[in-house]
Amino acid sequence: MITPPEVSWIAIAPDLILALGAAVVLLVEVQWKPAARVLGLVTAFSLVLAVGATLLQKLAVEDAMLAADPERLVAFSGMILMDGFAVFSRFALLGATVLGVLTGWRYIEGLGRRGAEALALIMLATVGFSIMVASNNLVMMFLGLEVGSIALYVLAGMSRERPESDEAAIKYFLLGSFASAFFVYGVALIYAGTGKLAILDIRAFFDQFIVTSPTVIYIGIGLVIAGLGFKVSAAPFHSWAPDVYQGAPAGVVGYMAAVAKIAGFAAMARILLTALGDLDSIWLPIVAALAALSMFVGSTLALVQGDVRRMLAYSGVAHAGFIMTGVVGGETQGILFYLAVYAVQLLGAFAVVVAVSGASGARSSIDDYRGLARRSPGLAGSFTVLLLGMAGLPLTSGFIAKFGVFTDAWNSGYEWLVVVAVLASVIAFAFYLRIIVAMYMDEAEEEAPALVPTVRWVVGLAVVATIAWGIFPGSLLDLAANALAL
Amino acid sequence: MLTALILLPVAAAVVMMVVPARRQELHLPLGIALSVLPLALAGYVFWIFEPAPGFQLVELVSWYEPWGINWFLGIDGISLPMVVLTTFLVPIALAASTSIKTKTKEFVVYILLLEAGMIGVFLALDLFLFFVFFEAILIPMYFIIGIWGGERRVYAAVKFFIYTALGSALMLGGIIALAVSYSSQFGSPSFAFGDLASVDLSPGSERWLFASFALAFAIKVPLFPFHTWLPDAHVEAPTAGSVLLAGVLLKLGTYGLLRFNLALFPEASVEAVPIMGTLAVVGIIYGAVVAIVQPDLKKLVAYTSVSHLGFIVLGTFALTSGGLQGAVIQNVNHGLTTGALFLLVGMIYERRHTKKIEDFGGLQKVMPIYAGFFLFMIFASIGLPGLNGFVGEFLILIGSYTTLPALTVVAAGGVILAAIYLLWAYERVFTGVPDKEENKALSDLSAREISLLAPIVALVLVLGLFPGILLDKISPSTEAVLDYIEDQTAYVVPEPGRLADVYLAGEDR
Repeated sequence: MITPPEVSWIAIAPDLILALGAAVVLLVEVQWKPAARVLGLVTAFSLVLAVGATLLQKLAVEDAMLAADPERLVAFSGMILMDGFAVFSRFALLGATVLGVLTGWRYIEGLGRRGAEALALIMLATVGFSIMVASNNLVMMFLGLEVGSIALYVLAGMSRERPESDEAAIKYFLLGSFASAFFVYGVALIYAGTGKLAILDIRAFFDQFIVTSPTVIYIGIGLVIAGLGFKVSAAPFHSWAPDVYQGAPAGVVGYMAAVAKIAGFAAMARILLTALGDLDSIWLPIVAALAALSMFVGSTLALVQGDVRRMLAYSGVAHAGFIMTGVVGGETQGILFYLAVYAVQLLGAFAVVVAVSGASGARSSIDDYRGLARRSPGLAGSFTVLLLGMAGLPLTSGFIAKFGVFTDAWNSGYEWLVVVAVLASVIAFAFYLRIIVAMYMDEAEEEAPALVPTVRWVVGLAVVATIAWGIFPGSLLDLAANALAL
Repeated sequence: MLTALILLPVAAAVVMMVVPARRQELHLPLGIALSVLPLALAGYVFWIFEPAPGFQLVELVSWYEPWGINWFLGIDGISLPMVVLTTFLVPIALAASTSIKTKTKEFVVYILLLEAGMIGVFLALDLFLFFVFFEAILIPMYFIIGIWGGERRVYAAVKFFIYTALGSALMLGGIIALAVSYSSQFGSPSFAFGDLASVDLSPGSERWLFASFALAFAIKVPLFPFHTWLPDAHVEAPTAGSVLLAGVLLKLGTYGLLRFNLALFPEASVEAVPIMGTLAVVGIIYGAVVAIVQPDLKKLVAYTSVSHLGFIVLGTFALTSGGLQGAVIQNVNHGLTTGALFLLVGMIYERRHTKKIEDFGGLQKVMPIYAGFFLFMIFASIGLPGLNGFVGEFLILIGSYTTLPALTVVAAGGVILAAIYLLWAYERVFTGVPDKEENKALSDLSAREISLLAPIVALVLVLGLFPGILLDKISPSTEAVLDYIEDQTAYVVPEPGRLADVYLAGEDR
C-alpha cells in the first residue's frame, strides 16, 4: 500500500500563494479584461501574502531551532526543506520580485492585454526559484529550476516587436536548455554513484562511506557546477548574459538577473556545501578556478562595453565570481549577504536604466548618461551610490559583502583567490567610474528623463539600503548568519 | 570628542546640502565658517593632549561584534599634528576657491566630506575602520579633480583613483590576512591595531604583509617609482584640491608607513630599511632633477613633493629618534609650505590663466607682495634655518646619518638641488624686467589673498623658531615606536640615534 506523503502546508505556503496569484491574474484577465492596475493590485496582494507566509516560516524555523528539533523542518517526505537558508533565500527572491514588478510596471502596463501574462510569468518564475532554494531533492530542485527558467525565457522575449528581444529569448532558451541538461545529467550521475537524490541523504552517504571508484560522481559534480554556473552567468558559461541583458525588456532584466543569481547560488551552496561538503577537495579547485576566471573576464570585458546594460551584464559575471569566492569560503552567511546586497543594487541600477533609456527600448548607450548630473542630479547621485556599491567602495553594502566573502575565502586557505579578487575589484572600479565620468564630467545634451513614481521608489529604496547596510550591516549580517542550512 | 571631530565636517556637509543651490554667494562663506568649527575642536584637542606615549581620548564602540570590528579612535603624538594640519588647511583651501564658479555647493560638500575622511584615517585604531576611511576619501577627491579640474581632469581623476585603489586593494588583502591569523591564534576576531600587532607571523608572511601595506602607502606618498599619478593629479586639480592633496592626502602614505608598517611588522621593517631608504633617496634626487626641468610651475611644485616626501620616508626608515621626529614634523612642514606654494601658483593662474614659467618674468616689479610671499615659502621649502623646513630636514638628516650614512650623504644633495630648482624658478618668474605686455598690468595680492597666506606664514615662523611646541608632543610617541621595535626585534638603535643618547651626552660630558 502506498502511504500518501505528509503534507506541510506552511513549507510551501509562499509558493502556493504566488501560483494561485498567477492563476487568478490570468483568469481575471480572460474573464473581465480589467485595467492593468487591477491586475497589479492582485499581484501586489499575492506578494504581500507570500511575504507574510515567509515570515510565518521564519517563526516556525526559530521555534524548531529553539526546540532543537530540526526534523520538523523537513517536509513532504524529505522533498522540501524549510530551514533558515531557504527562508532567507525566499525573502531575497520575494524582495527582488517586488522591486522587479515596481521597476517594470510602466513596461507591463504598456504591454496592454499581454500585461497579465508578464505578471503571471514573473510570479511563476519566483515560485520555481523559490521551490528550487527550498528543495532537499535534486530532482525537485531541477523542477524548480525549469519552472523558473522557462518563465524567464518567455519574459526575455516579451517585446515581440523588437528583434533584439526575440534574439535574446532564443539565445537564452537554447543555451539555458543545454545548461539544464547538463545539470540534470550531473544529478543522474551523482545518483548513479550514490543511489541517493536527497541532499541530506547524500551528505549522510559520504559521511558513512568512502567511495572507491568515484569517477562517475566527480563527472556529476562537474556537470552540476557547469549547469548552475550557466544560470548565475559565471565565466566561461556567461556568453548569453550580455545579449540577454541588452535585448530583453529593460523593465524586467533586473528582476531576471537577480532571481536567477539568488536561486542559482542558493542551489549551488546547498549542493556543494551541504550534500558534497565531504568532497570539497574535488570541487573547491573547480569553483575557485571558475571564480577567478569570472572575476577577471567579467571585469575586463566590462571595461570595453559602450552600452550600460552590457556593462552591467559583464559586471554580473564578475559578481558571480565574487559570490563563488564566497562559496569557496564555505560560509553561507557571506554568500547570502552578498546575494541580498547585490540583488538590491542590481535592481536599483536597472531601475535607473529604465528611467534613463525607457522601459522597453534596447538603447542604453553610455552616451545617454552624459551630463545626467546636470539634467537630473538626484538620479545621477543615486546611480553613483549604486555603482560604487557594486564596486565595493567602503560605506556601501558592497564593501561589507566583498569583505565577508574575501575573509571566508582566506580562512579556507584560498589566499591566491583573494588576491585575484582584490585585483579584479580594482579593474572593476575603472568601468563603474566610466559611467560616473559620463554623468558628472561630460556636458549635458538631452532633457531630464521623466521618472515614473514606481521606478523612483525602487531607486530610492536601493540607495537607502546600499548605504544603510554599508554603515550598519549588523542586522542583515545577523539574519544571514542565522540562516543556516540543515 | 574624537568622534565629534570626524562628524563635525560631515554635519557641516549636511548643512551645506540643505542650502539652496542657487544661493551661490552663500556657499563658500558658509563652508568656511563651518570648517572653522573642526579647527577649533582640533585646537582644543591639541591643547589638552598630554605629551605622553600611548593613545589618548580613546573611544571604542562595537560595530559588528562577530567580526570584531569596532569604531575605535584614539590620538597620539604621531596623529595629533596631522589632525591639526588637516583642520587648518581646509578653511584655507576653501577660502582660496573663489574661482570655482559652477556647482559651488557640491564643491564645498566634497571638501568637507574629504576632511571627515582624512581626520578619520588619522584617528582610526581599528584596521577595518582605517581602511574604510582610507578608501572612502578617494570618492570626494575623485570628484574634486574630475569636476572642477583642468583640461585633462577626467584622465587625471581616473588615474588617481585607480592607482590608489590598486594599492589599497592589496592592503585589504593584507588586513584580511592579519585578521585571519589573529583569530586563529587568539580564538576571537579583532581588527584593533594593538591586537593585530601581537599576531605571531612567520618571517615569510611578515614580509609579504609588509609589502602589501608598504605598496599601498608608497603609492599614496608617492614613493619612486609609484609617483606617476601625482603630477597629473596635481596639475589638473583645482587649487583647493592641490592644497589638500599635497598637504594632507600624501601624508596618509607617510603616516601609514610610520604607524602601521613599523608597528605591525617590526621585523620586516628592519629588514626593509635598505630598500625603503634607497627608494626614498632615489625619489629625493629624481623628484628634484625632474623638477628642475619642468616648464610648468604647478608641475614643478608637484615634483618637489616627490622629492620632499622622500626625506620623510628616509627619516621614517632611519629608525632613530631624530628620523622619526623629523618625519612627523616634516609631514606638517611640507603640508604648510607646499600647500602655500600651490595657493600661490593658483593665485597667479587666476590672473594670467597660464602656469608656464616662460610666460612670466620680472613679476617682482609688478607684484612685490606676491613675490615676497613666494620667496618666503621657497625659503621655507628649501629649509632655511629659522623656518620650519629646516627643523624637519635637519632632524631627518641627523637621524638617518646614524644608521644610513651613505644614503644620507646623497639625500643631502637633494637639499642643494631643492635650492636650485626653486630659486631658478624664482629667478625666471620674478627677477629681471617685466618684458611681456600681459604681465605689466597684473594686480598685486588682495587683502583676501594675503589673509589666506598670513596664517601659514605665521605657522612657518612659529614652527621654525619654536619647534619644541610640536616636538614635545611628538617625541613620546615616536620614542614608543622605537622602544617597541627594539623590544620585538634584535635591532638596537645605534648610538647616538636615540633621544636618550643625546640627553645623556649633554649631561655627562
